[in-house]
Amino acid sequence: MKVGPVSENRLVFVGSAKGETLEGEIRSPREDSDETALRERCRAGDVSAFEQLYQTHGARMKSLAANLLGSRSDAEDAVQETFLKIYRGASSFRGAARLSTWTYRILVNTCLDLRRRKGRAPDTAAPAESGEPESKLRTPAADHPLRLDLEASVASLEEKHRAVFLLFEVEGFTHREIAEILGVPEGTSRGLLFESKRELQRLLRRRGIAGEARA
Amino acid sequence: MSGCRRFEEATRGDDPGAWGALVAHGSECADCREELAAWEAISHAAPGLKKSWDSPQLWPRIEAAFAAQPAEAAGSAFPARRRFAWIPLAVAAALFVVAMIGLQVFRPSFGERELLTSRSLPKNPLLTEGTLTEVEKSEEAYVASIDRLSRLAEPRLSQSDSPLFVSYREKITLLDSAIGDLRAQVEQNRYNTHLRRELLAVYREKQHTLEQVVREAKS
Repeated sequence: MKVGPVSENRLVFVGSAKGETLEGEIRSPREDSDETALRERCRAGDVSAFEQLYQTHGARMKSLAANLLGSRSDAEDAVQETFLKIYRGASSFRGAARLSTWTYRILVNTCLDLRRRKGRAPDTAAPAESGEPESKLRTPAADHPLRLDLEASVASLEEKHRAVFLLFEVEGFTHREIAEILGVPEGTSRGLLFESKRELQRLLRRRGIAGEARA
Repeated sequence: MSGCRRFEEATRGDDPGAWGALVAHGSECADCREELAAWEAISHAAPGLKKSWDSPQLWPRIEAAFAAQPAEAAGSAFPARRRFAWIPLAVAAALFVVAMIGLQVFRPSFGERELLTSRSLPKNPLLTEGTLTEVEKSEEAYVASIDRLSRLAEPRLSQSDSPLFVSYREKITLLDSAIGDLRAQVEQNRYNTHLRRELLAVYREKQHTLEQVVREAKS
């Protein structure tokens, strides 16, 4: 087994038997102390600390929110609302969870609240919603034959299944992190991922692309 | 879907060895082979859902929203608590007033006693447990506010020997004595609305008297 490059908060063990990461989250003491320092600055209301948090996690937050909400502008609103909630609540943050995990937890809840308020499912044609050509919205594997169908199918998943699938498969969080973000046991996160992939297979088959799913 | 149980065991669990065994098993089992391929295709396509776009205005928007927040939002929560410290008191006072209005509404006058009793009043003139708790809480807040008023009036009451203030002192002493007696009776029968109404009337009288003292002291 090889150890892959550091990807955001975790080391990725590539070439595992499962073809997926092996939950190899490793945090160095320096990362922990950086996180602690950032958390303390946020708690003190230091705006530059929030900006640092935004620089580190903003892109990933927007991506997750866009997939949960199906709209780029809604995603930006959700990220803004999340930062406001963190800003307002930072002084009461006690550090039982990591600041970043807490941030994503608030983001996911904010997105789910926004969706419930709007009472609609994610718009699968989201990238073009703002009138911006899709080519300008960079997607790492935009040319994958399954992408559009998969995007539409993911939008049909139930809330928690969709969240777990997006967090694990798209954003690369570990099950341990997902468990903290969603407030569920790690085993539940694994179970939800299994169920969501099962459901996606079923939905893709219904779309008549079972053969392509094996490509 | 694969009818083979090994597929679910391997994909649900976190044992990489089980996955390896499943891959090996897939070379013999067509169902599992197909399932594995579909499974991995989803995982390979998933990163394509990641969205990325520039939002040069987003951070300035967030920063502006921060600036629009009250100054204490991100700092110590203590000033905020002090600023709104009057809210619980106001809520308690409002509850007390509502509870007392309720008592007054349900107290029939002489002429209406029969009619109301037969039509809408509950047969039992006693308070329920929930209402009693609310009334007692409201009463506490009311008594606390009268105590504060007493403290305001106290210097003038104790220092002045004018006939007016002497009579105020005597009146308040009488009222306190009546309050003490009524409270003792209420303690014996906490659910009795009649006693509580009488107690409220004496408290009101004390409140008016103290307000007069404060007004006189200012003039």
